[in-house]
Amino acid sequence: MSTIKAGNIKKGIYILYKEQPHFVLKTQFVSPGKGSAFTRVKMRDMRNGSTLEFNFKSHDNIEELDVETKEMQFLYHDGNDIVFMDPRTYEQMTVPGHVLGDKSMMLTSEIKVYLTIYEERVIGVVLPPKVRMTVTDAQDAIAGDRQTAGKKPVTMESGLIVQAPLFIRTGDTLLIDTETADYVSRVND
Amino acid sequence: MQKNWQKLKLDVALRERFLLREKVTDSVRAFFKSHAFHEVETPLLVARPGAEPYLNLFETTLQLPDGLAKQGYLLTSPEYALKKLLAADFGSIFEICKTFRNQESLGGTHNPEFTILEFYHANANYLDVMDDFEQMMLSICQTLGLDAKHFVYQGRVFDLRSPYLRFSIAELFAKYLGLNADELLDVVALRSKATALGYDLSGLDALSTELAWEELYNQLFLNEIEPKLAEFAQPVIVYDYPAPQAALARKKASDPRFAERFEVYLAGMELGNAFGELIDPIEQKKRLEADLELRRELGKKDQPIDYDFIAALEAGLPECSGMAVGMDRLVMLFADVANIDEVLLFPASQLFD
Repeated sequence: MSTIKAGNIKKGIYILYKEQPHFVLKTQFVSPGKGSAFTRVKMRDMRNGSTLEFNFKSHDNIEELDVETKEMQFLYHDGNDIVFMDPRTYEQMTVPGHVLGDKSMMLTSEIKVYLTIYEERVIGVVLPPKVRMTVTDAQDAIAGDRQTAGKKPVTMESGLIVQAPLFIRTGDTLLIDTETADYVSRVND
Repeated sequence: MQKNWQKLKLDVALRERFLLREKVTDSVRAFFKSHAFHEVETPLLVARPGAEPYLNLFETTLQLPDGLAKQGYLLTSPEYALKKLLAADFGSIFEICKTFRNQESLGGTHNPEFTILEFYHANANYLDVMDDFEQMMLSICQTLGLDAKHFVYQGRVFDLRSPYLRFSIAELFAKYLGLNADELLDVVALRSKATALGYDLSGLDALSTELAWEELYNQLFLNEIEPKLAEFAQPVIVYDYPAPQAALARKKASDPRFAERFEVYLAGMELGNAFGELIDPIEQKKRLEADLELRRELGKKDQPIDYDFIAALEAGLPECSGMAVGMDRLVMLFADVANIDEVLLFPASQLFD
């Protein structure tokens, strides 16, 4: 653990707030017009996945957490939990589903991710920027629907639904952006 | 990363959004000119910037051909120059210019170089200036062909018709924190409230009473009150700030613990800041000297006081009220974007990459 000034909090680090680990999603300088500067921090509470904002005085001391990261392979969903395995030691780890939130829809068979571990507890999962996924259901597009402008919804193997171009068919492999859950391209093998 | 000019080349529709600034600026100019305000130009490069103690300046050096060098600054607000013109009996005036603030983040709602509209209404009080702002917004809506009753920003509908919701600082502290006017001005009461809310106050003991109060006040306002203002489906005017929060504003005649200052918020974004202007030279000099003290306490470099500004007050300013409006944020609203970089052709984040 190391102490930093609130003004130096950066997106992507873990901090201790009200004695709990929080992942920093966004920071913004705030000046109340008159008075000292503040840093507005949008963060995710790693206990329950909820996001919150707090304005720290820029010169406040904040504890930055030293977290450990470990490459793990996705195995299966177990109720609300998700089970991963270390591909070298075969050691398994169970992660509460809320740690991933919507990102659990990005998990495909045997995908490798980085688990973020703090005090022997998994508090975050870092996915590759893009994943390959198979289309399990793609209906023919309805002609003349101007709203969708050349796109149609298709269902992926994980259950994720993305807006894809009209030429995409069931069985195609697509590249999906894990950050935005958007279609990137079709993969031609 | 793609620069905005590259995005513009690829996406013709984007041009509409960037040209919106021209329409908004034209509309603002037309509004003030039709209300007998004169447009003036004042320097951006100045010797005495007269900034608030907490603002960070861009410093530069003026070099003369004879080898003499003088310290210069980029402006943080054209307020002093405009007040000198008020003293010269210019009547109501406005300026649309660039201003500069250092050590602020890039993007979001900030850019180190931004466009400010500053207007001064002669022989008017701050209630008149509230009306000016509301009428100016309606005038922009009209120019753009927008329905002010159903103004859409970031998926929400706002009613921009006059009058806006108006809350005094004392009303807001009572409503959201259960503190009355005496308590909100009292460092002990604020501290016990912040403690009850679980704030980390370990840094406060090293501060003077005034600074500790200011930090508590600001932190409670930013965390407990400001986010609530975003929930209203109308713009909100927050008025009558504690006197220490308004160095250039006149104190209220009915309660001198508060000063005639207001801010306008829409969707959680601060759009502008206004004062019933302090025109008493003795009081003003005292406050500027106190600000200088505060800069020293904060460990910042001394700023020379602009005695020419004090002289202007001595020469006599009409009773007046003035407002500073962030033009870029105004354009953000009408363009319906959440990041200032989307209304600046060349945002600093793309220049200093």
